[in-house]
Formats: sequence, structure tokens, C-alpha cells
Amino acid sequence: MDTISFKGTREGLLITLGEGAWPDVLKELATQLDRPSAQSFFKGARVILDSGGRPIAVTELEKFIALFAQHDMTLTSVMGEEKTQQALIQMQQGSLPPPPESLTHGKIEEEPPENALQALLIHRTVRSGQIIRHSGTIVVIGDVNPGAEVIAEGDVLVWGKLRGVVHAGASGNDNAMVGALILSPTQLRIGGYIARAPDEKRLNSWPAEIARVRDGQIIVEPWSA
Amino acid sequence: MGLVVTITSGKGGVGKTTATANLGVALARRGQRIACVDADIGLRNLDVVMGLENRIVYDLLDVIEGRAKLRQALIKDKRLPELQLLPAAQKRDKTALTDKQMIKLCDDLRKDFDFILIDSPAGIEGGFKYSVAPADQVLIIATPEVSSVRDADRVIGLVEAQEKPQPRLIINRMRPSMVKRGEMLDTADVLEILSIELIGIVPEDEAIITSTNKGHPVALEDHSPSGAAFTRIAQRMLGEPVPFQVLDDSTGLFNRLSRIFQR
Repeated sequence: MDTISFKGTREGLLITLGEGAWPDVLKELATQLDRPSAQSFFKGARVILDSGGRPIAVTELEKFIALFAQHDMTLTSVMGEEKTQQALIQMQQGSLPPPPESLTHGKIEEEPPENALQALLIHRTVRSGQIIRHSGTIVVIGDVNPGAEVIAEGDVLVWGKLRGVVHAGASGNDNAMVGALILSPTQLRIGGYIARAPDEKRLNSWPAEIARVRDGQIIVEPWSA
Repeated sequence: MGLVVTITSGKGGVGKTTATANLGVALARRGQRIACVDADIGLRNLDVVMGLENRIVYDLLDVIEGRAKLRQALIKDKRLPELQLLPAAQKRDKTALTDKQMIKLCDDLRKDFDFILIDSPAGIEGGFKYSVAPADQVLIIATPEVSSVRDADRVIGLVEAQEKPQPRLIINRMRPSMVKRGEMLDTADVLEILSIELIGIVPEDEAIITSTNKGHPVALEDHSPSGAAFTRIAQRMLGEPVPFQVLDDSTGLFNRLSRIFQR
């Protein structure tokens, strides 16, 4: 399961391939994409493929492209060795742009996603064991139950009860915020900061509250416009 | 065509098997033709709870693997001619069965029964998956405990991901006196988390233990509180409007206060 990682970035979905023979990696990727929970998530995604530093031949690349096409995903660029890039250029006659600058330097951009990213709207209860990840802001209309995780590189806003684990600014953005009608998460993370709910039960958690990082710690205050 | 109803919970020991047996009995007493299917391969005990253990000749895997006809493997309950049991295999494990085989089996059963009740194994692995695959409806059993509710929430998410209709909830082993003292989650607390339709509340009842040991489901008679609760659930499954009994008397001061603060 750990051989392939998915990460939402400003440029698209970054899929990093781990070690293993190509047929195994391809099979594993197919399994991951076939999960019922994954299908709607990945649909329509623009993919940046990171070969994990290994060269990919044209034949392999074609298989990846075909697999992505099955899931309505498009490969926009490939990161990897020179040879891989060449294979790609050879095949596409240079129609694919080179990987975005921000990614080739090996890290995700850290400034707040104020202009580029679309918010992800989840209109249902996020239940235990379900994980929502998004490269921008996540808006949940419904509850986030204990045992669920919501991980956004932007803000997290919950129109309902937030009781699971929440991480805003997941790529290291300490300016992100978390807001909820009832804010009582199991654990709340913003950027690199972690806070957990107080042990004694807070009975009165109305009105809506918002959490953000101020002076090096996470503070919670009433949410007023 | 019969309806396939899967009874599941995620967590073990919350009463799936007891509920399957008693809903089977209660529905059969109302003239429905019922097949109870024990899908817990390797850990069968629906037959014990129904008191039919000593009559098993063939099991579910014998049918699926062609060693027996469905008719041969189904055990008729002597007390209720409408009720039949398809027992699980005991010597194998859950890898022996696939979703497709289970769907095929249920399609065969639909022809002869009004309801096919599947007693799902605990967990969310293969056994759970092949139990839910053929289901038209799913009933989730949860006890009013945080651990059980958490698992039920997980399972509801998995059922929803299978694009099944939203499951309905049975709250089992409710203890009104503990709720009154504010020591147990009450119905509202459970529903607040799970936010699915409630189909019944079964009170904690010592009669369940003796009935399980004897293989005589409580729903065979009307006098026990739990048996009556299962009968009401069966009526609701048949679409009869049955009002909910007030089990969790929530007029205590603590409850009223905590309600106010929860708002």
C-alpha cells in the first residue's frame, strides 16, 4: 500500500511511484484507483507522475496513460530521470509541458492558496475511517464524525459538528484556519501545530468557532465575520 | 421476489446473530417466508441460537460448491414452518466465498422466500463484504457504547460507498436506568452521530442469555421485553407504522441540562 503516494498540489495530483517492478507498480496503482472511495475523488484529475527517480520507457508510460484514461484522469507531466522525460517527449512530440517548477524542486509551495485553488465541497456526513484530502480549501456541509480525517492544504470549514481529526494548511501553511458550527475535534492541526480537545467535555460550544495559529499556538475563538 | 436484508455491525458481540434469529422468528410468525443465512463461515452460531444445530447435514459452502442442493441444505424450523436456516460451514474460513457467489445464492433464495436475512460476520473484511454485496437493505446493530457507535459509523460509511440504500439502525441492549442516570448514551446521542433512520430499540434483557443457551429465540413468545421489541422491528420492516416505545426516559435533571447545553 505504501509504494504509491498521492498528493494534491496546485498543479494537479502528484502521484509518486515507489520501488518495485513496473508491472507490480502498475497493478498496485490500478488497485488504488479502483477503490470505490477513490473513484470519485480522482475523476477528472490532472496527474503529475513522479517515477521516483527511475527511468520509464515509452511502453510503460503508455500503460500508465491508458490506466489514467480509464479513470478519466489526464497525465499532464512526468517527473523523473532525463530518460523518462525523453520518452515522454518522444511519444508526445513535446506536447506535454515540463513539470512545474515548484515540484521539480522537491517541495510543495507554502504560501496560502489564495488565488489558484478551488474549494472541495463535501455535502454529507464524513464517517469514521473516511479520509478527505484536498489541495485547496475543504468545505463540509454535514458532520465530521470521530475517527474521520479531513486534511486540506488550505482552510477547513465545517457547517456542522467537527469531531474527527482535522488538519488545515497540511503542506505547512500556518496561516490556514479551521472553522465549524460545533468545533470539538479529536485533534486539530494547523500547518505544523497540533492541539487536541480538552479532556473535560465542553458543554457549550455555540456559537460557531474558528481556530487559527496566533503567537505560536493554536487559539479558538468565536467565529464572527 | 424476496428481499435480501443484511444484519451487520462492525463490532463483534453487539447482537447480530441474536437479532437475525429473532427477526427471522418474528417475521415468520407474521406469515412471511424467511431464510436466515449464517454468513459467518468458520464461526457459525446462528444455528445454535435458533436451536437447529443438531439438524445440520449440509451447509452454505456445500450448496455453493455444488455438493448439495439448496433444498437439501435448508433446515426447516419445526416451531415455525415458514422459517428456514442455511447454516455456515464450520471447517473453512471466509476466503472460501466471493461476493459473486453470495449474490448468486441470494438470487436463488429470492424465488422461494419473502425475506432473506443474512447474519454478517463482525469486521469489515471479506466476510462483511460478501454479506453486504447481495443486500437490498442493511440493518446496522449498535449498542449504546462509544466503541460500538464508532464501528457502526465506519460500517455505515462502507455501506454507503457500495451505493446501497441508507442502512437503518437497531440500538441493542439499551438500559433505561443507566440512561436515566446519565451513564449511558441515549438514543438521541447515538442518532446524532450516526444520523441514519432508527428502526428499533431493544432493551437489555436477561431472557436473551437463557434463550440463546436453550436455542429458543425470545421472539417466539410475546412476554419478554426484548422479544416484543424484535416483533415491533419486524412490523416496521413490513411497513406497519409502530410507534416507538419510550425506553429512555430522559426527563432527569442531568439529561435536560445536558440537552440544553448541547444546543
